[in-house]
Amino acid sequence: MSIEAINITKKFGHFTALNNVDLEIPSGELVALLGPSGSGKTTLLRIIAGLEFPDSGTVRFDGNDISARTARERRVGFVFQHYALFRHMTVFENIAFGLRVRPRELRPQRAQIRAKVQELLKLIQLENLADRFPSQLSGGQRQRVALARALAVEPSVLLLDEPFGALDAKVRLELRRWLRQLHDEIHITSVFVTHDQEEALEVADRVVVMNEGKIEQVGSPDQVYNHPASPFVYNFLGNVNLFHGRVEEDKTYIHDAATGHVVYVRPHLLDIARLPNGGSHFRARIKHINAAGPLVKVEAIAEWGDPVRVELPQERFRSLQLMKNELVFIIPKDVKVFPARKEMARAK
Amino acid sequence: MKLQLKQKSILPGFGLALGFTILYLSLLVLIPLSATFLKASALSWQQFWHIAASRRAVASYQLSYGASAIAAAINLFFGLIVAWVLVRYDFPGKRLFDSLVDLPFALPTAVAGIALTTIYAPNGWIGHWLAPLGISSAYSRLGVVIALTFTGLPFVVRTVQPVLEDLDKEMEEAAASLGANRWQTITKVLLPSVMPAAVTGFSMAFARAVGEYGSVVFISGNMPLKTEITPLLIITKLEQYDYAGATAIAVVMLISSFVLLLAINLLQAWSGGRLKRAHGSELPEIAEAGAAS
Amino acid sequence: MASITFPTPGLPVSAHATHATTERRWVRWTLIAVAVTFLGVFLFLPLAVVFSSALEKGFATYLAALREPDAMAAVKLTLIAAGIAVPLNMFFGVAAAWAIGKFDFTGKSLLVTLIDLPFSVSPVVSGLIYVLIFGLQGLLGPWLAAHDIKIIFAVPGIVLATIFVTFPFVARELIPLVESQGTEEEEAALTLGASGFQTFWRVTLPNIKWGLLYGVILCNARAMGEFGAVSVVSGHIRGRTNTMPLHIEILYNEYQFAPAFAVASLLALLALATLLAKTVVEWKARQQSAEWEQIIGEAV
Repeated sequence: MSIEAINITKKFGHFTALNNVDLEIPSGELVALLGPSGSGKTTLLRIIAGLEFPDSGTVRFDGNDISARTARERRVGFVFQHYALFRHMTVFENIAFGLRVRPRELRPQRAQIRAKVQELLKLIQLENLADRFPSQLSGGQRQRVALARALAVEPSVLLLDEPFGALDAKVRLELRRWLRQLHDEIHITSVFVTHDQEEALEVADRVVVMNEGKIEQVGSPDQVYNHPASPFVYNFLGNVNLFHGRVEEDKTYIHDAATGHVVYVRPHLLDIARLPNGGSHFRARIKHINAAGPLVKVEAIAEWGDPVRVELPQERFRSLQLMKNELVFIIPKDVKVFPARKEMARAK
Repeated sequence: MKLQLKQKSILPGFGLALGFTILYLSLLVLIPLSATFLKASALSWQQFWHIAASRRAVASYQLSYGASAIAAAINLFFGLIVAWVLVRYDFPGKRLFDSLVDLPFALPTAVAGIALTTIYAPNGWIGHWLAPLGISSAYSRLGVVIALTFTGLPFVVRTVQPVLEDLDKEMEEAAASLGANRWQTITKVLLPSVMPAAVTGFSMAFARAVGEYGSVVFISGNMPLKTEITPLLIITKLEQYDYAGATAIAVVMLISSFVLLLAINLLQAWSGGRLKRAHGSELPEIAEAGAAS
Repeated sequence: MASITFPTPGLPVSAHATHATTERRWVRWTLIAVAVTFLGVFLFLPLAVVFSSALEKGFATYLAALREPDAMAAVKLTLIAAGIAVPLNMFFGVAAAWAIGKFDFTGKSLLVTLIDLPFSVSPVVSGLIYVLIFGLQGLLGPWLAAHDIKIIFAVPGIVLATIFVTFPFVARELIPLVESQGTEEEEAALTLGASGFQTFWRVTLPNIKWGLLYGVILCNARAMGEFGAVSVVSGHIRGRTNTMPLHIEILYNEYQFAPAFAVASLLALLALATLLAKTVVEWKARQQSAEWEQIIGEAV
């Protein structure tokens, strides 16, 4: 089922959570709504679910306007940030809930409900914990139960609100991969909200980057990371170095004074050399080297005084034999230029 | 008048639940209370004053409010000690005593009234010791104070206990490490922390004592101008079919109740939010994603 | 290598170290003695005197006093008044907790204060206000007399007065409880297709059951023991409009001490049962909230 949000605006008092937002989610895709707190991503998700109502705008499922329908009528599967498991019911009863509350005509037989719940328990690999209560489960287990509960009613859309936010790093990684696998199997249209860019880039088919109630960019993980449409997107998705610069003809010049443009370079797209190669370069003095990790992180001060961060592969670093306080040349391999705005001050 | 929801909620049943709540509240509480003021307004100011400020009425106010204040003060002093002992120390039978503190809440006032009278009457268990000393603990003002002390006993204890339980032991350790001896620590660090709760408990005990009838009316002796409490005065007037008189005194009591209620609410707000009970209200707010994202 | 010894936990440390954060022994025991004496005199004694006075003239007299027709009528009336007042106020308490606890609207705190009003009104005044409406000289007096409906000095008046004085008990218990539980579970139930009623019955109610029970127990204790308010509206007609507390008063004023205390002992037993139930429910509710806190604590 495809989802369309058209011209959605939502205010809470004086705070504008969503400002005329348009979004299209094709059927069967796994989409991430990515952004910092206050960007409006959870509000948008809840509006799609029918848990909030927009001040203006419409929501369509498969082209049909469902804005007037209640959450109950929209048949979405919603997984809450803190799971919202029914604390006084066992795992089995939690998962069976959606099936048990169906109106008499549509309610499956007890045996059918049992079979369905067993099937889901197998899917989430918690068959032995059917009789436990939520308080007896770990965070990761609760999250899986919440997911199974939402899937039990066979929704056409799956919505997840920061599903892994409250979990340990290791559990988070496992569940991330597991969600991706699940989606590959079931192909249900899924939207999840996260503030973790790594998570969005790793899991989603498509990333929607949001900021301050607006959508900054929609694209595949590759697109938003390597071809960011705005300084915000560039900044939010990974580390960045910022320089003042100027574009003349086809060339980009990095200057030491504000000139109306900002040049963005990722640390791993900078190389270090002892001699200039004839292409673009600038001088810098090495201040600190951190060689622990897959990439060597080098901090230097550029000739005009600004700090520069460079990430080098281990072999490159070893072949250079860099030392603290050395004067070297830094060679940008790829840069992005944007018109200067207040982004400069904020990004630092 | 329609009460507006601040945000449209997806939970159903608001209109129904609120409507029923307001209807029930109006029928049983608001309308009858208003009727009292309505009836009182039938009196002219002069008439009202004549009744409300009559010698007998004033004597009853002095007794009711005076004895209530003394009883509440006794409960403040002993209540603090009891709360301290129950929270900080262990002794045989502690749990039993702790549960029993709520007895004045659970025991019907008439039962308490006849029991207390029997104990403190001149031939009673305690009364027969005090009588030779010239102390009449029943059918006297002292008796009223004793009965009101019983009634208000749980208030200070139960408001101070949770505050004491929540106190950080580290504060005391810090004071000790800075050189304070135990007495100083208690009076300068601990007591000020529980004072707001204690004062709230005092006010609640006071408010309850002022309106108390059943526990007091047996032990007080009920002599007009001497040992007649205000609620009894109202009943006496009713038995004489002096509705106007009863209403006038009732209005005085109602106004003082409302003023006390307001004061207590303000006190509770001052001492940091509604008093929390062990079950339920201490739970931290679930961080709602809502407006933040 | 020098041997190092550490103080074994559990053994008493030097006196100087302890009285930095606790009191000296004699202080402690004095305070305990004071507290126990105070509680003993004010709480144990009255309980003891009720039972000893009830059984003063022997067990046979005790039972006879309880089987006496007027006494049994009083018991019956007490049960009727409580049997009507408690369920009504329970129903009200739940409705108020739903409206106030799960929704946000202007005037909420005013409403809560209004609900608390009966608590602050003297019992005698609580009875008087109904006399002023339904009594012979009351607002509706003439109309009621014309239709031969008796409210004051009859059972309906007693029931009304009982409802008034026990009005806030259940609501006061439930409102903070429901408020603190949030709305997430209910929202989850709705997304899973549950109707409003199903959500309330299957999700909300089980979560508040201990608080509800607690409120009902307190409400019932007060309903059965109410004296002042009922005294005003009842007319004291023996065998007809006397509840147990009123019957006790009549017996006592006639110097029938043993029978008075016999009936009183029933109410005292009820009070003890209330205290017991209260302790159990509090313990259960604390357990439940501890589990819940554990869930929240891990999620945050």
